[in-house]
Amino acid sequence: MEDYKYLFKVVLIGNAGVGKTCLVRRFTQGLFPPGQGATIGVDFMIKTVEVDGDKVKLQIWDTAGQERFRCITQSYYRSANALILVYDITCQPTFDCLPNWIKEIDTYASSKVLTYLVGNKSDRLLHREIPAEIGEHFAKQHSMRYLETSAKEAENVDRLFTEIAVELTKQAKENFLRPRQDSTSGKVGMPNGGSSPVGGLSCCKLN
Amino acid sequence: MECFGESLNQELEDLQEHQTAIETKMLSLHKMLPNLQLLHTDSRQLSSMVSFTSTLAENVSGKVRQLDLAKSHVTACMQRVEDVLDLKFCTDGVQTALQNEDYEQAAAHIHRFLSLDENVLRMTEGSNEGSTLDTSFQLLHEAESKLKKIVHKNFDAAVHSKDVASVERFFKIFPLINLHDEGLTKFSKYLSAQISETAETNLNQALSVKSSDKRSTVIFADTITLLFEGIARVVEIHQPLVETYYGPGKMFPFMAALQKECDRQTRKIVEKFKESRDFTRKVQKVRQSSMPRATAAEKIDPKELDVLLAELTLMNARAELYLRFVRRRVVADVEVSQEEDRTEKVAEVDKFLSDCDLSRLMQELVGSYIMMEEYFMKEMVVKAVKMDTYEGGAMTSSMVDDAFFIVKKCVRRAMSSCSVDGVCAMLNNACTMLEQDFKEELHSRLKLGFPSGFDLTQAYNLVQSSIQQGKLQSSDTEKAKANFLCMLNDTEVSSDYIQTLKKNLQAEITKVFGHVHQHSQEKLESCLSELASVSNKFREVREFGFTQLYSAAIKPRIKPWVDTFSATSHLIDDEEFTNYEANDPWVQAFIVQLDNLLNTFKASLTTGNNDTFVSHVTTEVTIQLEKAVLKMSFNRLGGLQFDKELRALVGYLTSVTTWTIRDKFARLTQMATILNLEKVNEILDYWGPNSGPLTWRLTPTEVRQVLTLRVDFRGDDIKRLKL
Repeated sequence: MEDYKYLFKVVLIGNAGVGKTCLVRRFTQGLFPPGQGATIGVDFMIKTVEVDGDKVKLQIWDTAGQERFRCITQSYYRSANALILVYDITCQPTFDCLPNWIKEIDTYASSKVLTYLVGNKSDRLLHREIPAEIGEHFAKQHSMRYLETSAKEAENVDRLFTEIAVELTKQAKENFLRPRQDSTSGKVGMPNGGSSPVGGLSCCKLN
Repeated sequence: MECFGESLNQELEDLQEHQTAIETKMLSLHKMLPNLQLLHTDSRQLSSMVSFTSTLAENVSGKVRQLDLAKSHVTACMQRVEDVLDLKFCTDGVQTALQNEDYEQAAAHIHRFLSLDENVLRMTEGSNEGSTLDTSFQLLHEAESKLKKIVHKNFDAAVHSKDVASVERFFKIFPLINLHDEGLTKFSKYLSAQISETAETNLNQALSVKSSDKRSTVIFADTITLLFEGIARVVEIHQPLVETYYGPGKMFPFMAALQKECDRQTRKIVEKFKESRDFTRKVQKVRQSSMPRATAAEKIDPKELDVLLAELTLMNARAELYLRFVRRRVVADVEVSQEEDRTEKVAEVDKFLSDCDLSRLMQELVGSYIMMEEYFMKEMVVKAVKMDTYEGGAMTSSMVDDAFFIVKKCVRRAMSSCSVDGVCAMLNNACTMLEQDFKEELHSRLKLGFPSGFDLTQAYNLVQSSIQQGKLQSSDTEKAKANFLCMLNDTEVSSDYIQTLKKNLQAEITKVFGHVHQHSQEKLESCLSELASVSNKFREVREFGFTQLYSAAIKPRIKPWVDTFSATSHLIDDEEFTNYEANDPWVQAFIVQLDNLLNTFKASLTTGNNDTFVSHVTTEVTIQLEKAVLKMSFNRLGGLQFDKELRALVGYLTSVTTWTIRDKFARLTQMATILNLEKVNEILDYWGPNSGPLTWRLTPTEVRQVLTLRVDFRGDDIKRLKL
């Protein structure tokens, strides 16, 4: 149907009720649906953005925050190009859970994954429980990028996804160049558009 | 002066002429004067007539309007009279009906009474007949509350005595006396009680089923199926009643009430299921076993889970089917009743269904199922890898078929659960397992490399013996070689298997999930497409394997053969040329050796791998030959000799490959053409506009370089060439 140059998978995670679905809705449809029900399992949306004239298709997987869906949502981590870990700046418990989420990411996601920490609901300033510096500090500690957003006021939402698209496109371009450089002269060329070079398969494990 | 007099005369004459005309006009005007007066009076008369008529018309229409009003008053009056008559009729009727216990009749009267506007009736008949009206109203109100009580009481009694006919009879009366909600609540309570009773019996029966029974492994799935079927039957029977007597739009509250009971019963069944299947312990154990540090002793045997997993998927499949049924029924009713906000109402229904306990319980079960299924798949594949055997004569080892059998089984089982999210998760898990565990296993084995110190005869014998005896009895190196090739085949076959798996699963998904929402299908499609990229990763590993093989077995093998070529002088005279013809200096031996090399591997490689291998070999041959040629010197006959040699080589390779080899040799063939020229300028017969169908693979610089290899070509001539 539509052609695109790159396809990236973006997965949103975080506690229930922090506004993952609203962020996705705001970005993909420009809506803020009040009274959004809890997500069941995993939802998925697509939006194509343009980066330096290239069409970049973002496949956004919006996961359910509730515990009983954990096994389903975990299965999406590995193939994710970017993870967005969301908490609610007006709700301390959602911030306190972040270390658990980090553990999940370490266990299931690829080591190369681009991770963003997002403090959502920045419009509710009066109810803020986690200062921006604390969130930013936490993000830095775990080498994540940090942004505060408001799905309601459309604050930083486009920026979040655009930054991700730009960064992933940059990475993809670099990866695409690398295997060309160290290809052996005697090798038969592979008609393969895969972006990860063979040289990257250094870690092997099988118990 | 005279002039002036003349002009004056002229003027006077003119005026005189005019005078006559004016006089005639004046005369006619005088005649018209009386007519004008007549006209004036006439028009005045007309105007007064018109205004008179208009007043008259207004008067008449006013009367009509009055009449109309009067008529509507009369109609209203008649309506009232009728109402009053009805009221009286109702009052009398209700009494007799109640006395005769004809509650339907009584309810019909009350229904009629309730449809009257009581206040209006009281107002219009204020003065004289008021007293009788009052009594009527009073009587009717009394009758109404009495009937309500009776209906309530009798309904309860009917429920108590399990008198189905009476239950339904009174259920139909409720809406007549404006008790829709009470009626529905009571009725659904009654039905719930029935459902509960049957469910309990079924559950007890299930618990007493012996383990020898052939349904015992799925008995809880059976029980839950019975529950769903029971409710579906209840809906099937009573939906017409609800729709007929309660009107459209009532299915949602009705179903919602029944769903509460369904939730309760499901919870009970799931509890018993967990208890009797030792579910919680197993889940716990699997969770611990999945930890990276888990020791073998702590681990739960995946086979222990096999049966449980099947039952879990069956339970969820039933629940999905049931929920779909409920949704269909309720939404159909919503669509009939709701004119606007239909989507909103449907969303409400969806929310109710996805939030109901049944859904939650099933979501929890599916969650546990996914975790256990993933464990099962991973452990079984690990086992397959551990027990990997290589049967002599086979191209691949056992673990490939085993592993893919397991993956297919697990994903298909997930599919049988009818849970879209479940299937997606298992597809993801399958990709992860294949890529992280299985592919890495192959990769690490290929990393060991193909043992160098390759001995042709040994390898040849190795293959021969493996074919003849069906097993391998050779040194470690030979074993390692065989293993390497086997892994290379495993990788290639795996990559193909993944493609096949994807294709088969796709077909099955279309079959199983054809009914689900477009959005869910896209989700499935996306997870499925991940398999394609995993397949590509296996290809990359195969490529890696070939680079290993290339550096260990291809490059070093070909090198000495090409060296023989380099050592063969191509600066030859006629005698030597004839001599070469009789005693071939190298190419025949080269072909024999190549043939041996290719044959050796052919027996141990899959068709795909063999093709790649041959391709690698030929590429290497062309690369090395090209290098060698550029370092050698030729004369005319030497060029001819080389051309002959090359033809022989290409002829041989064409005979052993299925694709066209000439393309690979294009550059070499063109070099041979150049070396075979009579004189330098002859190149122009082949170059540029004269090239015809020939596409030059050599650059002008390379052409010059090759030309300089001919010792008999003068450098100046070559320099002068315009290419």
